[in-house]
Amino acid sequence: MSARRIVLTSGKGGVGKTTTTANLGAVLAKRGHRVILVDADIGLRNLDLVLGVEKRIVFDLVEVVEGRCQVRQALIKDKRLDNLSILPAAQTRDKTAVTELQFAKLIEQLGEMCDYVLIDCPAGIEHGFRNAIAGASEAIVVTTPEVSAIRDADRVIGKLHERGLPLRLIVNRLRPEMVRTGDMLSVEDVTDILSAELLGIIPDDEEVIDTTNKGEPIVLQTESRLAVIYDKIARRLEGELVPFTTFSAPGFFARIFGKAS
Amino acid sequence: MQEALQQHELPAASAVPRKRGRAIVITSGKGGVGKTTTTANTGVALAATGATVVLVDADVGLRNLDIVMGLEARIRHHVLDVLEGVSTLDEALVTDKRVPTLRLLAAAQTREKDDVDTTAFRDLIGSLRDRFDYVLIDCPAGIEKGFTNAIVAADEAIIVCTPEISAVRDADRVVGLLGEDRTIKLIVNRLRPALVRKGKMLSVEDVNGILRLPLLGVIEDAPDVIVSTNKGEPVALDAASPVGESYRQIAQRITGTLTTPPEIPREKSFFEKFFGSLR
Repeated sequence: MSARRIVLTSGKGGVGKTTTTANLGAVLAKRGHRVILVDADIGLRNLDLVLGVEKRIVFDLVEVVEGRCQVRQALIKDKRLDNLSILPAAQTRDKTAVTELQFAKLIEQLGEMCDYVLIDCPAGIEHGFRNAIAGASEAIVVTTPEVSAIRDADRVIGKLHERGLPLRLIVNRLRPEMVRTGDMLSVEDVTDILSAELLGIIPDDEEVIDTTNKGEPIVLQTESRLAVIYDKIARRLEGELVPFTTFSAPGFFARIFGKAS
Repeated sequence: MQEALQQHELPAASAVPRKRGRAIVITSGKGGVGKTTTTANTGVALAATGATVVLVDADVGLRNLDIVMGLEARIRHHVLDVLEGVSTLDEALVTDKRVPTLRLLAAAQTREKDDVDTTAFRDLIGSLRDRFDYVLIDCPAGIEKGFTNAIVAADEAIIVCTPEISAVRDADRVVGLLGEDRTIKLIVNRLRPALVRKGKMLSVEDVNGILRLPLLGVIEDAPDVIVSTNKGEPVALDAASPVGESYRQIAQRITGTLTTPPEIPREKSFFEKFFGSLR
């Protein structure tokens, strides 16, 4: 049985593609699936840092494609989750080192080895983007509730439609209190503009900065509210109907005292 | 059309005294660290000092500088129109709503970065340097063709970096690609002093311990930047905004009127926070 091959893309950079890839991968692995994460950002890799495996890289994606090593030699097993592996990108090469066809073949090969292949797409819509979507069977578009991120997401969705790739949307870094004051677009605004199906809503959480720097996906902290949210996203991916959490803005007291905790 | 083709290189060159403006590329490697916001605000602040400034959006296919400047409805032509002789440079330059010495040259939205010829782009920046004191180039994320084009004509670079390991790593890679011949300065963006104190965010010293670049400015993370970006009103024009003041000081350091190093924002006291939040 072949795996689901999902590319996480956005157009705009810095909206949380890599963090989402790492966390979604970790939560799917926790739920018992065999997961391989692929860093398609050749030259500017970061997925290894977010997962804390940067010191264990021996071979990379380009070396696999060039036949310098076996896929299994390049895959790094996560130390916390048995069935989670990552294929790192090359850091000192160009995105043009790999063709779309080579990339598609690689993803197909990885698909024989697991249940989910998650592909972390680079920012932009250049060669690196075309590579990252080449072997995917579906897409998750990550966006933030900002006009510029939505405009870029719209452009990317157009390109995914051209390829006939089914897609769903994750709205990342929502700040409910800013939505309430009218200073941020709401999730409804975003899904209306993009007319795409929603897969998840992730609130802005400053803990993510810290866990990302430490190389430990936040979903591994069981007490984190984001662990619950990512778990729901994983269940929706599996096909379960899970209602969306509505993030009502905290009241005055919650704001004052919540900050202190 | 015929006339447009003739004017393509340097319209009304005789009427405009030739300058030798500074071409500065704003770049980062990693996306979403604030390149476009920095370009807009630095440009606005520079132009507010009376300098002539043109902002060039080099993010063909994913343009956003027009939105951040609030000028998206006024764009009729873009960089590729100029390069392909569809319009003159003057027809493509959009005058800012607020600062009369500021212009925007938008990127094409429905084209690809591969459509832009690197030599032609370099010549275009050269023409702009003849007419403006400052040419600020908003670089796309990544290090592909769009990056190559954006840096080709710039002899100065501003690296925008957030206090995150992945941003620092990408910035370090870009510094290497920029080479030895360019002046490179650093803006640390979206610092949260409270997180730094708790040890949950890299400090400015941590970031620059790795990058080792002259510091041009430090911008604190503030929700008013998101608001101003969505509204298309650069915060640098807001006299009451501390972030706006940081951008104004960056502009003064670029022009050379301010020579003191940037202040590193400290965490506000309980009372400042409490009363600040009630504003």
